[in-house]
Amino acid sequence: MTMTTDTGRAGTRDRPGFWGRLSTFGPYTALTDVLLSSPRRQFWVLLTIPILWVFVTHLGPILQMLNVSLLTNYPPSPNKVASYTLENYSKFFADSIFITPFIRTLVFSTVLTLTTLIIMYPVAYFLARHVPRNKQMLFLMLLLIPFWVGEVVRIFAMMILLGNNGALNLALQWLGLTERPIPFMYTGFSLSAGIIYLTALYMLMPLYSALEKIPTSYGEAAADLGAGPWTRFRRITLPLSLEGIASGCTLVFLISTGMYATPVLLGGPSTTLFSEVIAGFFHVAGDQWPVGAAFSCIMLLTALALSGGFNKLMGHLAGRVKK
Amino acid sequence: MTKLLMNRRRFLHGTALGAAALASPAYLRHGMAQTGGEVNIWTYNNFVPEDFKAQFEAETGIKVNIRLVDDQGKQFNLLAAEQPNPTVDILTVAGHRYLQFIDSDLLAPMDTGRLSNWGNINPVFSESDWGTINGEKWGAPILSGAEVLAYNTEVVSEEEALTWDTLFSDKYSQQNAYILQDMMSVMMLAKGYDGNMVEYLGNEAEAARIMTEMRDFFIAQKPKVRKYYDGGAEVQQMFVNQDIVLAHAWNGPIATLITDGFPVAMTIPKEGSYGFVYTLNIAKGAPNADNAYLFLNALLSSPEIGANLSRSSGFISTFKDADKHLSEIERKATSFPEEQLAGLQFFRAEANEMKYGLMDPAVEQIKAA
Amino acid sequence: MTRNTRILMQCIYWAFVLYLLVPLALMMLMGFKDSKFIGFPIRSWTLDWYLGVFGDAAVMQAFGYSMFIAVASTAIALFMGVWIAVALTGRSFWGRAIVLGLTLLPAVIPGVISAISFRIAARVIGMEPGMWAIIWSHAIHNVPFVVLVVMARLTTLPKSYGEAAQDLGADPIITFFRVTLPYLSPAMVGGGVFCMLLSFDDFVRSFFLGGYEPTLPVLIFAKLRSGMSPEINAISTIVLVLTALLGLWAERSMRGMSKRAAND
Repeated sequence: MTMTTDTGRAGTRDRPGFWGRLSTFGPYTALTDVLLSSPRRQFWVLLTIPILWVFVTHLGPILQMLNVSLLTNYPPSPNKVASYTLENYSKFFADSIFITPFIRTLVFSTVLTLTTLIIMYPVAYFLARHVPRNKQMLFLMLLLIPFWVGEVVRIFAMMILLGNNGALNLALQWLGLTERPIPFMYTGFSLSAGIIYLTALYMLMPLYSALEKIPTSYGEAAADLGAGPWTRFRRITLPLSLEGIASGCTLVFLISTGMYATPVLLGGPSTTLFSEVIAGFFHVAGDQWPVGAAFSCIMLLTALALSGGFNKLMGHLAGRVKK
Repeated sequence: MTKLLMNRRRFLHGTALGAAALASPAYLRHGMAQTGGEVNIWTYNNFVPEDFKAQFEAETGIKVNIRLVDDQGKQFNLLAAEQPNPTVDILTVAGHRYLQFIDSDLLAPMDTGRLSNWGNINPVFSESDWGTINGEKWGAPILSGAEVLAYNTEVVSEEEALTWDTLFSDKYSQQNAYILQDMMSVMMLAKGYDGNMVEYLGNEAEAARIMTEMRDFFIAQKPKVRKYYDGGAEVQQMFVNQDIVLAHAWNGPIATLITDGFPVAMTIPKEGSYGFVYTLNIAKGAPNADNAYLFLNALLSSPEIGANLSRSSGFISTFKDADKHLSEIERKATSFPEEQLAGLQFFRAEANEMKYGLMDPAVEQIKAA
Repeated sequence: MTRNTRILMQCIYWAFVLYLLVPLALMMLMGFKDSKFIGFPIRSWTLDWYLGVFGDAAVMQAFGYSMFIAVASTAIALFMGVWIAVALTGRSFWGRAIVLGLTLLPAVIPGVISAISFRIAARVIGMEPGMWAIIWSHAIHNVPFVVLVVMARLTTLPKSYGEAAQDLGADPIITFFRVTLPYLSPAMVGGGVFCMLLSFDDFVRSFFLGGYEPTLPVLIFAKLRSGMSPEINAISTIVLVLTALLGLWAERSMRGMSKRAAND
């Protein structure tokens, strides 16, 4: 598809290119006359396929999950007849033991999202504003390389970096900074280091594309008017990148609430997250799927509601700035 | 009829032999459809040796399709999602999952009369009581494992490793790791209870009391544990990284560390421990059950294959005479002294519904504490 | 920006690059370790693990298989994602919020659940497990990421661009291909890279929807059962180098193609 556009864009102006020929091609014009004759028709032509796609392929799995979450037992087994119940949901509220990892996940994801933002903003800013345009792709690629290595392999590499006998401790000991190895692994530190490795990309992309399109002239004009660097950042760059911040934070937040392998492998005994609890229902016993599905629904709804609220807030902020 | 046709079509479709078969005379093709076909196996990496597979395919004309699994839970979920028409003939089930598969009606009873090499399995495993459920046998044991205490020999002494208490001692605080669920069963045994909870069937109050005691014990130990882990690769890496010096583990992963020359050893402590068995099972509604029996019988035919399985997994072979095909260090890494083996019991699954009904919330509470 | 903040940001960038690359360097290094396990100290070295990868047909096959799945599912996800984003941006109609919400859902459903749901759905519609089933599930899972990235870019498209094109007599379809799509191409490249990465690294959907041929993550997970060996590190390193080369080649040939088109 991109290729077509390239050809299209590059098509010379003085003689009719592919698009010029197309717009005078009989069958094509007949077709567009029928399809695009009224705004109403245009609307339906544009929306029918997306709506079909979304309802058939996206809604299907969700309905399946909802259905399972309301059953007494699943997968079906000949010994037990399944019926509908709300018990799987009430289980969450009845017992306080599930609340702890649930709240922990929400708090942890929030803190993590903010940390990722604080780390990635300067990186994205540097990339978008200070690296010459023809080198930006190269610098960006440098940051994308690690993601072609599987998650688990990366996690184990993190282990031999942070372990008691890992590269970091060996380096510290060699430099004489510490005598005994520092236990980095299986703490909040190793967990965060592992997760940020994963989420950084999801923050970087939206931030970069938001920052990249702010015209440099804005800052220059403000500087001419005597605005200091901090004022310029606060009044121009930050408001104009709000959109990128919002979508980056939403992505990172939603992803970190559902992450499983990294917390399990890098976390410690006191960092159990809700996704581990959910996975437990699928892994441990056969007929606990309904509970797992119900808990997933609860997590999903909460995460969506929170990020929806967050986006409303950001939209509000952005709206105020524009005024 | 449809089944046969479909198998044959898939077979022709899936192999290079297809073209040759189409070109050969009709009577030959007919013959191939009968002796050929395929057999679909879900198993761990390296469990079916390449050369054995090639030889079996050459001798029988049956194509062997192997699907690699890495985890019992996922395998169970996949097979459950495939019901009632599974794509698999033979699957590898670990002992603690055995009853769950049978209860969920996912396995077919095994007709040992069709396996002339059944006698090659050490009767300790093939005729043991846990293997017979509802009066039927359900799987062919291939490997056996145990819950052991593993320790770094440069730090922990052999005497210290003879009791589970060392795992919880202040001396090795923050240098230990265990699989929480498994360790809870072992501790029940160590404290004189039945870790399988079969004794408490019908006396749920007693079972609940014991589980509460266990929960409180593990919550009290929590400040001293470095990591509740899940997988063999994790505990190996923790030993290599020196994050831990002692751990509860399955013998397989530790045995591979030993054969690699890492200073680690393992014991079955004096309080006793639990063992489990990997079995090859035939799925209920298996599309190629006849080929599956043929394959199993061939697999059981030689102790070399048993040795090979043991070598690649680190677990103990259930084949008679398999140890004759292992090297000195491999034999050492996969065997225990007689007096330690005497303390080993098999996991039993009859009371699992009650046991895990109590244990799962207890585990959540320990992790949340 | 003052010089100091600029230098500070440069430092942060390079520190971040270091943080990303040090684990990778360790991974590459461990591929040379003569042992069955990774970690320090390295007592003896070997080339066998790296050489072994090239001799291992299963690994190379899995790599090609995963690559094809990544490319195919990315193409589908880009097509649908751009269409949905264009349809939903700048239009208000009844139910828009519902459609948008549904669009984004697959990205946040826990992997196991979506994988099992897909597996059951595939059976209902009679789809055989295997390559196309995996591609289908990856495409669905990746559409939201494309939509998010493309929508963000689309909101900044000046209205005047489209109006100018229509003033020149272009119908909406031609306007889309000649104005909107070129404007979106950076977002599409970004979204496409996202999708490729997600598909290439996906384990759980590939496991549940796959047949008897393993994708690379499925193969690696199976190998991990017997320990994190230098072999897995060597495989990952070689895959990294191969994908980097493929990426460079794709970028080159794309550039070459657009140049040729320009000279056309």
